[in-house]
Amino acid sequence: MKIEVKELSAWYGSHQVLRSVSMGVRENMITAIIGPSGCGKTTLLRCLNRMHELVDGARVEGEVLLDGENIYDPSVDPVEVRRRIGMVFQKPNPFPHMSIFDNVAIGLKLAGVRDKRKLREVVEDCLKKAALWDEVKDKLDQPGGRLSGGQQQRLCIARALATSPEVLLFDEPTSALDPISAMRIENLMLSLKREYTIVIVTHNIQQAARVSDYTAFLYRGVLVEYGETAVMFKTPRHKLTEEYLTGRFG
Amino acid sequence: MGDKTKSRGFVRRVALDRGLNKVKEMVLELSGIAKEAVRLSIEALKEKSREKIEKVYELEKRSDVLNMDIEDECLTLAALQQPVARDLRFIASMMRISNNYERICDLAQKIAYIAEKTIDKPLLKPLIDVPRMGKLVIEMLEINEESIRTGDTSMLEMELKARDDEIDLLYSQTYNELVGYMVRIPHRIDDAIDLLFVAKHLERMGDLVAKSAARLVYIEEGRRVWIK
Ligand SMILES: Nc1ncnc2c1ncn2[C@@H]1O[C@H](COP(=O)(O)OP(=O)(O)OP(=O)(O)O)[C@@H](O)[C@H]1O
Ligand SMILES: [Mg+2]
Repeated sequence: MKIEVKELSAWYGSHQVLRSVSMGVRENMITAIIGPSGCGKTTLLRCLNRMHELVDGARVEGEVLLDGENIYDPSVDPVEVRRRIGMVFQKPNPFPHMSIFDNVAIGLKLAGVRDKRKLREVVEDCLKKAALWDEVKDKLDQPGGRLSGGQQQRLCIARALATSPEVLLFDEPTSALDPISAMRIENLMLSLKREYTIVIVTHNIQQAARVSDYTAFLYRGVLVEYGETAVMFKTPRHKLTEEYLTGRFG
Repeated sequence: MGDKTKSRGFVRRVALDRGLNKVKEMVLELSGIAKEAVRLSIEALKEKSREKIEKVYELEKRSDVLNMDIEDECLTLAALQQPVARDLRFIASMMRISNNYERICDLAQKIAYIAEKTIDKPLLKPLIDVPRMGKLVIEMLEINEESIRTGDTSMLEMELKARDDEIDLLYSQTYNELVGYMVRIPHRIDDAIDLLFVAKHLERMGDLVAKSAARLVYIEEGRRVWIK
């Protein structure tokens, strides 16, 4: 297991949104988190890299082990956790006026990397991994905001890759994209899983079916069912899962 | 967001439910055709009725067309509605069941061929076990129909296994009896072989209905069973 979530509960103030969730995230696999709106998917994802605590009044109980080490241990630096576990959001959020090059290089620059050649190498490598290089290699100095939505999302993926994370968290990464751009991102995730461990939150259960190896079904903050995607989509064990997957509620 | 998701889910189910229901009705219709074909093929044999033979041929043609239509309907649903879970098991299994029932009509047609071939000859022996086997096949089809209608598969395995076992027993009984005829009345050995084929076809039909019942259990319970 790359990540092990152990009896994780989360609150916003007095409002508990995760109830003792336990699950393992396998290395070099894609794990999907599905469930109706408001069930706590985003919260769970944000607990995996200590972003949840950035919200005022937010609180976490339980453990999240990354390679066996609890990321909530007081000795652990949350910034380092977020470097090892990168995140891509629903809406592409490049820095619109910053150049394509700097959008990718920003993380390294902030970390103090000055070596121009090193920066170029990393930017090219990440843009290639994000399947964007061919489309932007001749306009690296143009602003990131001028790219299409799908390209912007791949730019954000390249940015997330630049700090050499081990795990990538995607929160509905294609919901703002057209079907072709969405398919590109899906293909990209499938190629990235060779090197990274991926967790994706999605509203699109067909997307979960297409890309993920394991699926977690969350309902009202409770992990109802978790298992191999192919098994869950053929023979879900739990009645609630069945009803959600077959569109009886959403 | 919540409302949008809900209404999307709702629309999807309307179309999917309509399609699933249509497939169900079509399979029930095919089951009716299969029952009729089995009944008529045996009556044709017994009564030497040209009219009933023709009727079986007609039913067999209808079963081919209906089976194809069921497959088309299922493939359309799979392509357009992305079914999962029970919906997926239903669609995949109904295609198989439909194929099985179409095969039953083929076998009834083979019995009708034998009836046609032997229409001018007296029966080798009074037909008792063969109609009994036919009746059991029809009963098994009816039990499946009930399950398809209600979704209740709790008694299915037990009910079908009992009847399939009885068919197997009748088959081996018929086999032994016909071997006796072949020894005692060698000049009618071809008639004995024809009758043996009839019994074999009926035994095969029992298998096909039992296999279909196993599919129904898979649809409702997600469980793989072998009814044999
Ligand atoms: N910053 C916040 N402050 C207070 N409550 C919040 C906050 N963010 C989320 N919540 C509440 O926590 C619950 C879970 O929210 P979360 O965003 O994790 O759900 P989700 O499953 O990601 O939903 P969606 O599918 O709509 O994105 C909801 O009831 C939500 O209202
Ligand atoms: Mg969310």
